[in-house]
Amino acid sequence: MRVLQRTIWWGVAATVLLGVTLGTGPAQAAGAARGFNASAVADMTGFDPAKFENPSGDVVKIGVLAPFSGDAASVGQIYWATGTWVASDINRRGGITVDGKKKKIALIKGDTMGKPANTKQAVEKLCLQDKVDVLWGTAGSHLTAIIQAEADKYKKLHLNSGSLSDTLMEGKAFTPYTFQHIWTTHSVGATLAKFFATRQERKFYILNQDYVFGHELAESFKAGLKKYVPDAQIVGEDFHPLFNKDFAPYLTKVKASGAEMIFTGDWIPDSSNLLKQSRQMGINLPVAGIFLDDINGLIAVGPEGSKGLVFASELLINFQDGIQHKWHEAWKTWAAPYNTPLYEWLGSTTGAYAESLYWLLDAMERAGSADAEKVIKVWEGDEWTGLIGQKLTMRACDHRVVRDTYVTEFVSPNKWYKDCAFMDKITTIPAEFVTLPQPKDSSRCK
Amino acid sequence: MKRPVVWLAGALAVLAAIPFVFGPLHTNLMVRLAIEALFAVSLNLLLSYTGLLSFGHALYFGVGAYGAALILTHLQGIPILVAVLLSALAAALVGLVLSPLLVRVRATAFTMLTLAFGQLMFVLCSKFREVTGGEDGIMGWTTPPLALPGLFSLDLRQPVNIYFFAVGLACLGILAMWFFTKTPMGSVMISIRDNQKRVDYLGYQVVLTKAVIFCFSGFFAGLAGAVYAVFNNLVSVGGVLHIMVSFQPLMAILVGGIGTFFGPILGSGLLLLLEEVTQAYPELALMISGVIFILVVMFLPGGAISFGARLRAWWRKRAYLRKARESEA
Repeated sequence: MRVLQRTIWWGVAATVLLGVTLGTGPAQAAGAARGFNASAVADMTGFDPAKFENPSGDVVKIGVLAPFSGDAASVGQIYWATGTWVASDINRRGGITVDGKKKKIALIKGDTMGKPANTKQAVEKLCLQDKVDVLWGTAGSHLTAIIQAEADKYKKLHLNSGSLSDTLMEGKAFTPYTFQHIWTTHSVGATLAKFFATRQERKFYILNQDYVFGHELAESFKAGLKKYVPDAQIVGEDFHPLFNKDFAPYLTKVKASGAEMIFTGDWIPDSSNLLKQSRQMGINLPVAGIFLDDINGLIAVGPEGSKGLVFASELLINFQDGIQHKWHEAWKTWAAPYNTPLYEWLGSTTGAYAESLYWLLDAMERAGSADAEKVIKVWEGDEWTGLIGQKLTMRACDHRVVRDTYVTEFVSPNKWYKDCAFMDKITTIPAEFVTLPQPKDSSRCK
Repeated sequence: MKRPVVWLAGALAVLAAIPFVFGPLHTNLMVRLAIEALFAVSLNLLLSYTGLLSFGHALYFGVGAYGAALILTHLQGIPILVAVLLSALAAALVGLVLSPLLVRVRATAFTMLTLAFGQLMFVLCSKFREVTGGEDGIMGWTTPPLALPGLFSLDLRQPVNIYFFAVGLACLGILAMWFFTKTPMGSVMISIRDNQKRVDYLGYQVVLTKAVIFCFSGFFAGLAGAVYAVFNNLVSVGGVLHIMVSFQPLMAILVGGIGTFFGPILGSGLLLLLEEVTQAYPELALMISGVIFILVVMFLPGGAISFGARLRAWWRKRAYLRKARESEA
């Protein structure tokens, strides 16, 4: 009997110890499932992305590949705000255990300038000079393709949180060093089509950026409509250059087409400029998109201009407690350029970027190493609970995430912003409807 | 031994040692310098030697780059040197096709016409996505090794090998342009810059000479573009045909020294150095380079290459004035 009692006590003590140990890392064992634990987020008082300083000593280095200058510098700021948040949170908790010791997280900028050649140079610098452990980026599937190729060359782990193209992880482009956390163009098309199946709009005008992502997204949306809304019509389709300044010619065609809804995959600054110029031209058509959460752009068109926008995302954080509360409280003291409403709450883009980093660092800690090969083994097929408690699975054969997706229609007033319309009710589209099928040409997926 | 020979031997020794002394990152930086210097010197033939300001030189660079990308993508097994030379010839051919229009105009009209052709090619390549890949570009082709059957085979993905390949071609190209400026046709070129009408009255073929210069300059700009494609394993409209690609060598010429042959090489080096230094402050990079450009234009109009001469002149003047003061006293 005493032996049995002792065994039970030792069992309880070991479980508690294990729980405490895991709980100090980026994620903790909440029940049986691995995943993000909001209650473990550190006290972030005094944190400011503009004043982030890298820790010294033996650290895990993350190279942040984003446009920090040029037309899309605002995207670089979003990456930096999110990256520094996650790094500061983990560092305040003592870092992650790799190679048998606690290591803090350092971030090093790699400025892509939104251009292919600069992206390649930035990756080379991060890999050869800064010797980073992880490459993290970036906006623009054409740039991500370059990072993937370089990551494969230098055998560096690469986390893609910003490029959605379906083809990035298919065929010859696939590399085991890259993990695509962000959802894909197929999922976007299927998500919005499934959503529109329950609504009145039937005439759509597609207006996308003229590169691989824009074209793939247009095809995905059309395929989704064909499947879920067979009576829908595409009344027009245009592709504009990246970082376009003048949308008037496109909007004039939209007006003449009789469209009931504009569908766009544009990301900032294009998404905001498109919205602003359409309202200035008196075109108050609703817009459906996936990067409409640029709050500064929404405020520029006001509650009337932003009402009725349809916003789809892989992550919609519709609560104000937990990590959201800590982010919001910290934001109140942030300096420029992070003191704008864009950063007031942890949004869809910032949230998804943060989620991807938390997951990566958790996988790294479980691998017990920053070595790419070891992290790959842990992350492939990993099941994890995301920021809003949703189930995420890193599909082993093509390194893409299987997850539910979300759609909302912006309304005013709302609980988030008084100067613009924003999300209220959320429609969840289950993963089974939106998940990209496994690539047929991959021997890994057979 | 003669002094120039010693200088040349020294320079070659330094160039040969670079990849072994510095790491792959700085070796890659030198490859970029070789490409940009070759491109800038090719534009310099028009600007400094013929007096023609082109805002569309990226056209030739882009044709060379896309030529190499398309050849290497679709013609498997073609020797790399053949691919590069064919690409440069394609750029020269574009120069030849455009020359009937370009040779007849000068000054602002010439500048605007080159700008228009450059932008036309940019838009064409953006729209023909099926061929050029549009904004995404062409990437991921298999670059054949630089090989002489039975003798050697060098993998150009290795930084040391691509360095010698790029620097070698750039040196040969720059040397060829240097000799071109010393030929009788080179003299006619300079005369056209100084007084086109007089050259015409003297019986020289101004139109034909200009056409040759366009082809020659286009060939070397195309060569730079082809080496760029081989080095980056990637070509995109934004990277090789954007208007800023035309302004980059122009900046190098102005910063290095307009009216000189070697100024553009120095200018390319300085701009690259500046880019490297400001990389740590990406938000300020463009502002810093803009301010430096303004300062050079205002206070060093002869470019960085004239700095030594100006310093010597200032020093001599200072010494002369001091002597004068002493003799007065």
